Amino acid sequence: MKVIKAIYDFIVGDMVILVGVIITVIILALLNTVSALSALRVASGYILVIAALVIITTTLYCETHGK
Amino acid sequence: MQWAVAIAAFLASAVEFVEAFTIVLVVGVTINWRSSLVGAFAAAATLAVIVGTLGVALVQFVPLDALRLVVGIILILFGMKWLKKAILRYSGMKALHDEEAIFEERMAELRARGESIAPRLQPFGVAMSYKAVLLEGLEVAFIVITFGSSAATSIVSKASGITSAALGALIAGILVILLGALVRAPLKQVPENTLKFIVGVMLTTFGTFWTGEGFGVAWPLSDAFLIVLAAIYLLASFVLVTWLKQVKQQRIALANANATASSTREEVRS
Repeated sequence: MKVIKAIYDFIVGDMVILVGVIITVIILALLNTVSALSALRVASGYILVIAALVIITTTLYCETHGK
Repeated sequence: MQWAVAIAAFLASAVEFVEAFTIVLVVGVTINWRSSLVGAFAAAATLAVIVGTLGVALVQFVPLDALRLVVGIILILFGMKWLKKAILRYSGMKALHDEEAIFEERMAELRARGESIAPRLQPFGVAMSYKAVLLEGLEVAFIVITFGSSAATSIVSKASGITSAALGALIAGILVILLGALVRAPLKQVPENTLKFIVGVMLTTFGTFWTGEGFGVAWPLSDAFLIVLAAIYLLASFVLVTWLKQVKQQRIALANANATASSTREEVRS
């Protein structure tokens, strides 16, 4: 458990950022693998950039308003 | 010597070298040069082993897209962590009793007293530098092999094409390192938090770019889109700093109003 915590702290140390990035990666992976979603594949880049902006805003909001 | 191949490889490799060197440079300036160079040399050694073992078969065996995806995701995570801290510091929202800030203050005091600080190896810095150099180095190896091989015709041999491409890449690498050595000194004048802010923006930019490439995104303007991405994150960061400054001012105003109200109440009671 200590090892996992150390790796988590070293790489990110922020649950909002970690969960946000994981959700974004899952969405992009689905867009690239599910054929029904292939029409949205062209928007992958925009989704990634928007997701990054949403994640940074959310984590800052949680940091300043959550405490 | 195939000049067309050498020039094409020079230009394409220069872009990759600049990308890798940018991260080595910012790690060196913001963390320490020991960590940055250890990471870079370790990556160069890994590259030498990979290229030496696989040779031109490298193109078939190394899954570059998967590598871009993994490195990209880790860079986004690192980058956002740095960017968040830098934005909080700029807006004045960072907690006063911050261990990192105390450590930095102590380091500044030591520097002011003229005492030397033995640079310790920072895992974060080593990992950052290692990943960037390994990924970009592999991309340069791909450029050399693919450009060199595609130049092969009935007259020109494959080996000659690869040698020309490798020469072009080598010159690009040397030029980028020389240029980096020149900008190293002026960078030291930039305040530390500003540098950390720039690092956060750059790591997030490279992370987004490589993650996108890992998912097969064809960015408009190709590698030049990195500048657009950096501009987007920079602009967003300034907006966030402004917003957080307003939040802080509102809190101060509210605290002042509460303090005035409570003192008035006490005066009325007495």
